Amino acid sequence: MEKTDAEMTENPLEPYIESLRQQLEEQDPMVLVGVIVALAVVVITCVFLKYFLTSKTVRSAVLLVGLCDSGKTLLFIRLLSGKFKRTQTSITDSSAPYKAKNDRSCTWTLIDLPGHDSLRSQYLEKFKSAARAIVFVVDSGIFQKEVRDVAEFLYMLLTDPVVYRITPTLLVVCNKQDVAMAKSAKLIQQQLEKELNTLRVTRSAALSAQDGSVGGSVYLGKKGKDFEFSQLPMKVEFLECSARGSKGKDGDADIESLEKSLAKL
Amino acid sequence: MRRKHKTLVASLTAGKAHTLTLSCKRCEQKVLRTMALCSHSTLYSLIDDVEAVVRIPAQINVVVEPQFLWVLRVGQVKKKGYHRIGHGSLCQGLVHHVTAPIILQKAGSDEQNPDIRGDKMLDFFTIFSKGGIVLWCFQGAGVSESFTGPVNALIRSVILQERGGNNSFTHEALSLKYKLDNEFELIFVVGFQKILTLTYVDKFIDDVQLHFRDRYKNELEQKGALKLLNNTFDFEDRFKKLLREAEETSKARSPVPMRSFKESEKSQKTVKSMIETKGGDKSKEQGGKKNKNTKKEVEPPKGDQGKTPPSGQKDVLNGNQGLTPEEVMQKKREDFFRKRMMGPTEKPSKSPKPQKPKEKVNRVWNNAGSSTKNLDYSNKNGDSSPGEDQKNMEAQFDPEMQVSSMKGDLRSVDYESSEEEEMEEEEEEVVVSKTSPKKSGGFGGMFGMLKGLVGSKSLSREDMEPVLEKMREHLIAKNVAADISSQLCESVAKKLEGKVMGTFTTVASTVKQALQDSLVQILQPKRRVDILRDVMEAQSQRRPFVITFCGVNGVGKSTNLAKISYWLIENGFSVLIAACDTFRAGAVEQLRTHQRRLNSLHPPEKHGGRPVVQLYEKGYGKDAAGIAMEAIAYARNQAFDVVLVDTAGRMQDNAPLMTALAKLIAVNMPDLVLFVGEALVGNEAVDQLVKFNQALADHSMSDKPRLIDGIILTKFDTIDDKVGAAISMTYITGQPIVFVGTGQTYNDLRSLNARAVVGALMKA
Repeated sequence: MEKTDAEMTENPLEPYIESLRQQLEEQDPMVLVGVIVALAVVVITCVFLKYFLTSKTVRSAVLLVGLCDSGKTLLFIRLLSGKFKRTQTSITDSSAPYKAKNDRSCTWTLIDLPGHDSLRSQYLEKFKSAARAIVFVVDSGIFQKEVRDVAEFLYMLLTDPVVYRITPTLLVVCNKQDVAMAKSAKLIQQQLEKELNTLRVTRSAALSAQDGSVGGSVYLGKKGKDFEFSQLPMKVEFLECSARGSKGKDGDADIESLEKSLAKL
Repeated sequence: MRRKHKTLVASLTAGKAHTLTLSCKRCEQKVLRTMALCSHSTLYSLIDDVEAVVRIPAQINVVVEPQFLWVLRVGQVKKKGYHRIGHGSLCQGLVHHVTAPIILQKAGSDEQNPDIRGDKMLDFFTIFSKGGIVLWCFQGAGVSESFTGPVNALIRSVILQERGGNNSFTHEALSLKYKLDNEFELIFVVGFQKILTLTYVDKFIDDVQLHFRDRYKNELEQKGALKLLNNTFDFEDRFKKLLREAEETSKARSPVPMRSFKESEKSQKTVKSMIETKGGDKSKEQGGKKNKNTKKEVEPPKGDQGKTPPSGQKDVLNGNQGLTPEEVMQKKREDFFRKRMMGPTEKPSKSPKPQKPKEKVNRVWNNAGSSTKNLDYSNKNGDSSPGEDQKNMEAQFDPEMQVSSMKGDLRSVDYESSEEEEMEEEEEEVVVSKTSPKKSGGFGGMFGMLKGLVGSKSLSREDMEPVLEKMREHLIAKNVAADISSQLCESVAKKLEGKVMGTFTTVASTVKQALQDSLVQILQPKRRVDILRDVMEAQSQRRPFVITFCGVNGVGKSTNLAKISYWLIENGFSVLIAACDTFRAGAVEQLRTHQRRLNSLHPPEKHGGRPVVQLYEKGYGKDAAGIAMEAIAYARNQAFDVVLVDTAGRMQDNAPLMTALAKLIAVNMPDLVLFVGEALVGNEAVDQLVKFNQALADHSMSDKPRLIDGIILTKFDTIDDKVGAAISMTYITGQPIVFVGTGQTYNDLRSLNARAVVGALMKA
């Protein structure tokens, strides 16, 4: 009792608090419980909000994108476990934490996006804002046949306003190097540059959508110059690898170059 | 009875490569038939004595299989592999040629062939995640081709196109059946030769799903994709056992409806719910036991309806007077049971959120009150009410009422969730009233309780049914063809069944979201649509890019053709319009007018003195295909970039005109066949597109006929938000909407914005 008296004299606010306490005591105790619960709810809400907001600002996702059948899912499996597994066309994304092979041992979230035309834009929409790096997987075996589709997808990716703003590292992985007729990364780079250059023309002439929005506000590369990957604001790297590996099912994958690049992120 | 030759061995040696000798292994009878063979041929033709697929040197066994099924095995000496042929009539041919001492045997009587087992009927069975990782697969003995191709085809043409209504799919010689497990995001696919009619497959796939989930539920519940990589799913032995069982039951041919029903019921339930019933906290367990006990004591046929709708209750009340004593007793038992059920349902009221149980308890309380009034199992008349019981109930409920009334403050915060709870509860009621009385008694109440505690639950078909029905009507109101909206809803239901909902979502919102995603997915083109790029490609190959327009009368083919030529001209291409409408009066003149106007907009002086657009016409009454061909040749010579072929409008039922169109397309092989359809069309869209595609397929000489590969949606400005035609058309053809016509001027040509269309479609 003495102690509280002493405090009372010391603290000028004490009388107010005391009166508040008295008022509170006059009230029904259940109301007090209600007030406490309400405060608790507010606090919990704040914590949740903070949790959700912070989780979005940190970009820690490594996206695996590319056309159907380019080997994204197998690459995903190889990066995570090193094993070989059969794969089918993905319908949804799959994600898992990936530990980069460097001394810092950072952990990224590796996300494998479905490559099918009717799904890819939806899933890209969902994950692009969290992308730290985008691994663009290209099937080198049938690149010649698919070059226009690959370029179109890449164009869509590069001219996306969000991607343009956050400039994630772009790793173009020329997969399936174990196939006999596989194109080299250098050739793929050249052809893609040429194709993207053409696409810049056709896309700027494309019809506007119904709601009046034109294809994209972002112009790829520098105006008046032929397109080159070096003109892009983000870091672009071309890598050769083979998720299947030269020995097939039993052997290891040939993806050291990709692992190295991921370690540098 | 004639003698049976069970196994016929046909030996082919390298030296005598071109004769096939069939002999019977068992009775040592030497040559039944000799046929001439070539090195590459099909098994069909083996029967017809023409050629054979048999790779040399090979051994062929002709084996009698159950159910009149004949298997012709082509086993190479080193590598085993076989093809199956035949069922019934197909094999009759073979039997005939073998000069038939072989008798077709009835199913099940063939016990001496131990190597003929069910696992040779299925080509493959695979279990993979929706992310595309194969967890476990089984390949039938001797099946050498990979199943990846057919399964990918299944995914791309059925699952991704929202054609999930029926769960089977035919790919070349294979029949595939699949099942989605939405809770764990798995897909089960089984494949077998399509000529086999395997009746047990549906049940078998259910069984496998159930067992697989049971066995690996702990592994599957982990988060992330790592679970799929780090665990090995060694399912072989269990699978073999199941397959054998399935085989046996199909052999025995005894219909086992009870079992299959039970199995399927079980498979509906989620593993999660099962775990909760087992491993929940004490109170839950007690509740469960109580329920079980009550079930043992009283076994009323309808006793499981813990929460029948109040209206039903009233019926019971009113109806009691006119019933026989037995029936009255029965009713009372039910009521008693209902009252006992209150025990477990009260329990959630002790959960941290007092608000929502209040709603629930109140409702139940009303129910119970009226029923307890009626309840008397000691008296002969059901009129006197046991006041004691009622008081007890009141005593139990009073504190709860108080607590919830005090916490009025919380209402606004918790309001939404309580509302949601109520909604779920209502849906739960629908479930209970709909499900058959065979469902075990305690589960209705148990589920309700668990839901309150856990907050997330998996969707069942019954939950979704009312929402889906509403969505279906909504789609139809937005002008989506009726059967397409049904199929879509069916597919969405398949996709959601068993999926675990988030905590703050309702059934309605989940279904709506899924439907929206599906619609976007449908409208999203399945291939690259960039006509300008393709025209440039054709330009570099020094050939004109040919686009053919087709459609029914009066949809705006010529008008949109003019708009497209304007767009192409604006982009620096020269256009030749081929007037292949030699039928309607004024068609050619219409095009000429457009050509003049376009040329005046883009005068030749600006384009090197050459008119940017020309009309190729040969008057009326001529053969359209011929004119188109001449026009293309002319364009090639004159170095035009694009040829736009305008065809006469035709109704889809007009067979001669459809044949003519098919001929035009087959002969000229245009780069693009665009179907012009008006956005005003409703159910008719289905018929039009199906018949156009059918006609093109029927009258084409080649194996891979040219079908419609793009759609122009016209008169889009006239329909406000009734944009359903866009969905109908893309759904049927699986082809993208390339252009949208939105007005009368040359500028009114747009590309489709899938999200905007879906937004308009989902708008209430």
